[in-house]
This record gives sequence, C-alpha cells and structure tokens, in this order.
Amino acid sequence: MSNTEMTNTENNPVLSIENYSLDYETANGPFHALKTIDLSINRGEILGLVGESGSGKTSLAWSIMRYLPKNAREPGGRILLGGDNLLDKSERQMEAIRGRRISMVFQDPSTSLNPTLSLGTQLAEVLMRHRGLSRQQAWKEGEERLAHVGLKTPAQMMHRMPHEASGGEKQRVVIASAFACNPECIIFDEPTTALDVITSRQILDLFVELQAETGVASLYISHDLALVARTAGRVAVIKRGDIVEQGTVREIFTNPQQDYTRELINAVPDPAHRLVKDDVAVTDKPLVKVENVSVHFGRKSFLAALTGKKTERVTGNNAISLSVNPGEILGIVGESGSGKSTLAKAMTGLNRFEGKIWFDGREIRNLGDMDNAYRKDVQIIFQHPDASLNPRQKIFEILSRPLKLFGDGSDLEKQVGDMLEQVRLPRTHANRYPHQLSGGEKQRVAIARAFASKPKLVICDEITSALDVSVQASVVELLLDLQKASGTAYLFITHDLNLIRQIAHRIAVMYRGDLIEVVKAEEIDSPDRADYTRRLIEAVPRAAAQFQ
Amino acid sequence: MTEFLKRLLKTPQGAIGTFLVVLVLAIVVFGPMLAPYDPEKLSPLARYKGPSLMYWLGTDQYGRDIFSRLLIGARATVVMAVLATIAGTLIGALIGTASAFLGGRADELIMRTIDAVMSIPSLLFALLVVNLLGSSTVNALVAVAIAFAPGMARITRSVALSVRKQDYVNAAIARGESSAYIIRREMLPNVIAPIIVEMTIRVSFAVMLFATLSFLGLGAQPPAAEWGLMVSEARRYMHMSAGILIWPSVAIAIVAVGFNLLGDGLRDALNPRT
Repeated sequence: MSNTEMTNTENNPVLSIENYSLDYETANGPFHALKTIDLSINRGEILGLVGESGSGKTSLAWSIMRYLPKNAREPGGRILLGGDNLLDKSERQMEAIRGRRISMVFQDPSTSLNPTLSLGTQLAEVLMRHRGLSRQQAWKEGEERLAHVGLKTPAQMMHRMPHEASGGEKQRVVIASAFACNPECIIFDEPTTALDVITSRQILDLFVELQAETGVASLYISHDLALVARTAGRVAVIKRGDIVEQGTVREIFTNPQQDYTRELINAVPDPAHRLVKDDVAVTDKPLVKVENVSVHFGRKSFLAALTGKKTERVTGNNAISLSVNPGEILGIVGESGSGKSTLAKAMTGLNRFEGKIWFDGREIRNLGDMDNAYRKDVQIIFQHPDASLNPRQKIFEILSRPLKLFGDGSDLEKQVGDMLEQVRLPRTHANRYPHQLSGGEKQRVAIARAFASKPKLVICDEITSALDVSVQASVVELLLDLQKASGTAYLFITHDLNLIRQIAHRIAVMYRGDLIEVVKAEEIDSPDRADYTRRLIEAVPRAAAQFQ
Repeated sequence: MTEFLKRLLKTPQGAIGTFLVVLVLAIVVFGPMLAPYDPEKLSPLARYKGPSLMYWLGTDQYGRDIFSRLLIGARATVVMAVLATIAGTLIGALIGTASAFLGGRADELIMRTIDAVMSIPSLLFALLVVNLLGSSTVNALVAVAIAFAPGMARITRSVALSVRKQDYVNAAIARGESSAYIIRREMLPNVIAPIIVEMTIRVSFAVMLFATLSFLGLGAQPPAAEWGLMVSEARRYMHMSAGILIWPSVAIAIVAVGFNLLGDGLRDALNPRT
C-alpha cells in the first residue's frame, strides 16, 4: 500500500538513503552503528524515525548532515538529496548545502543557540550566509520569520538574548531559522523532548502547520511512539542500527509485523488500562500529612543582614498541604519548575522547609526532627541512576550501606544478594561497578537500595523518565510488584501523565510551586477539573486511543 | 590497569613523561649503588676537571665527582619534593572537599582565609615558614607542603562542588550518613583524578622550590649532595668550570620536565572522553 502511495504523491523522493551503512572504529574493533539503511522521504511528507537510545537515530541524522566524528567509516551506500549523492560532496560544498537545502532542529534549544549572541543575530546570520541578503534586509526578513512562527513581539524578540526567552520561544526561533531558506529537507531530532507538556504540544502544532504550508520533506526523530503517531504519515522503527519495520502510522499501530514493534507499542502507557486496584482505604490517620509546607531558596547575604535590607527569596513550594495513606500511590504531576522535586527534597531532608510534616503520628518541624527512624521509613529514588549511584563504589558497597545504617548488618553478602534477587538482578552483580550495568539495571539497584531499610514511604522522583519505554515498563512493573509485597506507599513524581493515570490512586497537580488540586486518578479527565489540569490533559498525546 | 597504561603511553607527552620519571625513580633507587666514587671524597689534584672517561661529568671545586654527587643527591631532591607534594595535596584535598560539602558561610570563611594565604607568593611563604622553624631539610618539607595546600584546596573545591550536586551525595544525606563518611567515601574518590594530575605537575614546582630554598641556604646544608645546593655552591666557581653549574641544573630541569609531561599525559589518560 505504501508503494502505491509513494508513486501517487511524487516519483522522485527528496531525500533517499540507499543501502547505507555506518561503522565506528573503536578500540575493540568496528562498531556497526547503521546497517544497510533504506529510507526515502517525499516532498510534503513526514517520516517518523522511532527507536530507543543507542539505536542509531542520531547517527543517521549526522550522516545525512555529513558531520561525522573522525572514527566513522562508511562501508557503502548512498544518501541522495534531490538526486545529488551527499557522500561525494566535499566539505566546502556541504557548507553551502547545510542550512540552505537541508537543515536541522535539535533537542535542546538552550544548547543549540549561542548564549552570547542575540536571537536576531543568529537568525540573520543564516539569511545573510545562504540567501545573500544585506544586514538590514536579513534583520527585516528575520522579524517576518519570527512573526510567522507565532511569536507575539518579533521585533523585540530579535534583540533578546537566549537566556531572556523561554524554552518554547527559543525552540520557535530555532524552527524559524531551520525554515528560513526554504530548505528541501529538515531533520527534527527530538525537538520537543526538552520542553514542557503544554509547550511541546504548541511546538508540535506549529511544526505540523509549517510543514503543511511549505511542503518540506521532514525526518522526525523521536523515542516517543505516541508523539510520532500525532505528526508523521509514515513511521520507520529502528533497532540497533537496523530498520526493522516501515509503514504508515495506521499500519504500524493496528497491525505491527515485528515483535519489537509490538513490544514498543505495548510499552507505551495507556491510561485506559489501569495497573492498580482502587482498594486503598482512606483513613483519618494518613501515613504522611504535609501541612502548609513552603520552601524558599536563596540565603540572606551578609551585607543585607547588616543593613537590614529585605531580600527577595525564590519560592520553590508555596504552602503545600497533602496526605498519603498507607499503601497508597500518590502521583504528583506538573511541568518542570513546578516544585515537584522541591517537595520531595523537603520531605527527605535535603531542603529546609517551613510548615509541618506529620509522619505516622509524629510531628516534624525541621530537618533536626528527622532522626534515624524517620530516614529509615522515608526513602527516595532519583531520576538519573547514573548520578545517584557513586561511580567509584561497587554495587555491594552501595547496597550494604543502608543495611549497616538501618539493619542488623550481619551476613551482608547474603542480604545484598537477596536484595538483588528481589529486583530481579543476578547475585553476581554485587561485584560490578555501576558503569558496567545498563540504565535499567542501574535504576533497579537504586530501587533495591531504597527498599533495603523496609521503608513505609518511597518517594520516586521522575525515576522512569531517563529510561527507554520498554525498560520503563519493566521498572514500573517491578515497583508495583514490590508495592503489593510490602504495602509501601509511593509518592510518584512524574511529568508523564499517561503513566501516572495507569498506576496512581490519586493524582496531585502542581503549577509554579502551588498545589492546584488532588483528585482520584480515574476522575482526572472529568470536566469539573481545574482549568490548568484540563489543559495538561488535553496536551498529552494518547497513541492507542487514536486508532481504536 | 594495563589499558590505562596503554592510554597513557599513546600520547607523546605521556610516553616521554613516563620515560623520564621512571628514569629519575630508577636513579633514586639504584643511584647510590651505581655511583663510581664517594660523593664527599675530596681530591685536591683533580679540581675543575671537564668531562672525561674517568669523571664522566667532570669534578667540582673540591675535586668531587659530579656524576656521583648527582646520582646520590637524587634521593634527597626528588624524594623530598614528592613527599612535600603529597603532604600538601592531602591537606589541600581534605580542606577543599570539606569546604565544598559544608557550603554556605563555612565555605565562605574557609575559602576567604585560603585566598588570603594564597596572596603570599609560595616561595615567600616557604621562606617565612623556614625562617620561623629554622633551616633544616624537614622544615623545608613542611614549608613546601604548607605553601602548596591552599592551591590544592582551591582546585579540589571546584571539582568537589560539582560532585556535591550529584544525587549520590543527596542519597547519602537523605539516608542520614555522617559528614565524615560522605566526604571520605562518597566525594573524595570522585575528585581524585584531577587531583592526581595537578599533583604530578606540582612535583616539578616542588623540585624547583626545594632547589631555590637550598640555593638560598635554607634547605639542605653542605656538604649534602642536594641538587639546588650544588648549584648554589657552584655559583662562585662558575668561571673556573661551567660544568659544575650546568649539570645539576640540567638534572633539575629533567625532573621538572618529566613530571610536567607525565601530568599532561595523565590528564588525557584519566579523561575517558579524549
């Protein structure tokens, strides 16, 4: 079916990759990053390229841009842009092609823009370089371009520095400069991953709009199947450098041919499919009660204290009150900077706070009240397992510390082994260093460490967001099994609304340090919800629902 | 370990640096055994001799064999420099890591004190310490160690500050570990790599600082075969035979260059991204 479609739209694809392979020379012999890739994108088409981290998505993008590291080798194949083989081009010829005929939008706008140049200078530079405009012409054209990508005050925006614009505004500028020379093909490398839910929805809408208007051939790289389903017409699934399956979005979702594709689709969280039973008794005596907890950042400077000058402090949390029942999973959602992690840090004694925390009937007013017993009962798991496990300690040492602090500390070898088995890792992993484990395995070790002291409350701070979808699904499954076995309550912080709707009993929504509301998970999409909650729910793509 | 050595020897700086340092260390260990003459044996008839088959590097103003004196003096010069650097590094690393961990006012207090100490040039500072304690080899070692500590504390602190933000330190605080444990077991092992690099480079400074102190008569005392002292004593007889002055200076230069290059090589080898 896809063949007939292709011939109908246009005979010559804008970008076609034929039989292309890429190797990296490493100390341990060549590493095959891409294996005989065949892809083509027609005018006006969006091709989604989906794969997990390390699958070679970004390598492919850089091969097309002809910007490869020195140890890259290309055993064969062709990359044709409008019929010209890019592999034959010299570096100088490529410089004229990049930005003019093919351009790229990166993941994080805060790193892809130069922080020392104004946004206007960076946009005008592209226009001057590739369209031969004078400075004034380029500046004027730049303003028009910015207005075109939906920025309200383009003239002022041109003069602003990158740090004076929000993430969404910066990404709009990047998109404007990618479209600036009307290229034939644009590569989008996870353009919304670094943005907030609502902002990324707006950027996505803008992208679809511009794409339809200009008819540029787009390669949309993402790890998020749900996102690709919203934008792309065709999808290619890549696994370890191999394109395993290609087809229209509908084909891929309704009738996947490969096991790997099926796995990927099943791993995408679907809020309609709840993973927990709603059997938590709401009691008068919750396990934790957070009462009017506020967190402020910044310390009074010595000079200000002397002169009695008032200092403006940044508010991280603004009088938050919520409670967690024994054995309950309470989800906390919100955009970045909404104070989710700040609250978690206050509850584990990493931030000073004002207000009260009641834990198991005990009152905690400040960090000094958090004694050994409290720390034993409240454990935290962090987002990045790379950062939360000390790279210079073996797994055995990492896991034996909580046993020594909170447990009996006898027969550590057996206990550490048991802990590893509990999180479904082999006992022999105790002798390894963190860098010898995969991301998912590392997060399992972090989970094992949190459960070592048999806590009553575990705070999970975005623990799945650094992991691939399939790994994420298995980590969530492990957490739910542990919860069933131990009856531990979770405070589950995430920005993934689909996931939290699957696993939480209640969901707390936060916005800019304030708690908006706490609602039952199955009632979060009811129309009675607060305005912000409704916008959040609307912004999240739901892949499966689209095709059922 | 073998892979690490391979990485170190792959760069020219690393290879040359390693070669020179191994050579110097071999002289430190085996020098006294290899020396053809007694370094303190005077021979009034063979003064100011140039290099010859009998005296490879010639003789000095008292007719002592310069080659033998260099071989034996290596121990005093290089071992002292290495010991002083290690002592200074340990003090500095502990202060820097603790300062980064404590943060806030305590960090401010420690670092401003260190700034004040650092504003005195290290040679002047070492001179001050030696003058207060009296001139001897051990006191010179203490002086150099103290002079080095503030600089090391600064470097360690900047590395430790980034380690301090890592979640494994947060995790340790959240489970109620003691400050001593966090500094010693969680933070120090992770700041060690840049410290080792800085330490190797500083060994060469220490050699030169020791030589300067001895040259000024505040370190080793005659008739010791310390290299700096040899240069100092040779100064007055320079016009009789240039070799007396040149050979110990060359020896000092080789050690300094060797450790400097090794430091550069280690910096590349310890950084997996190069």
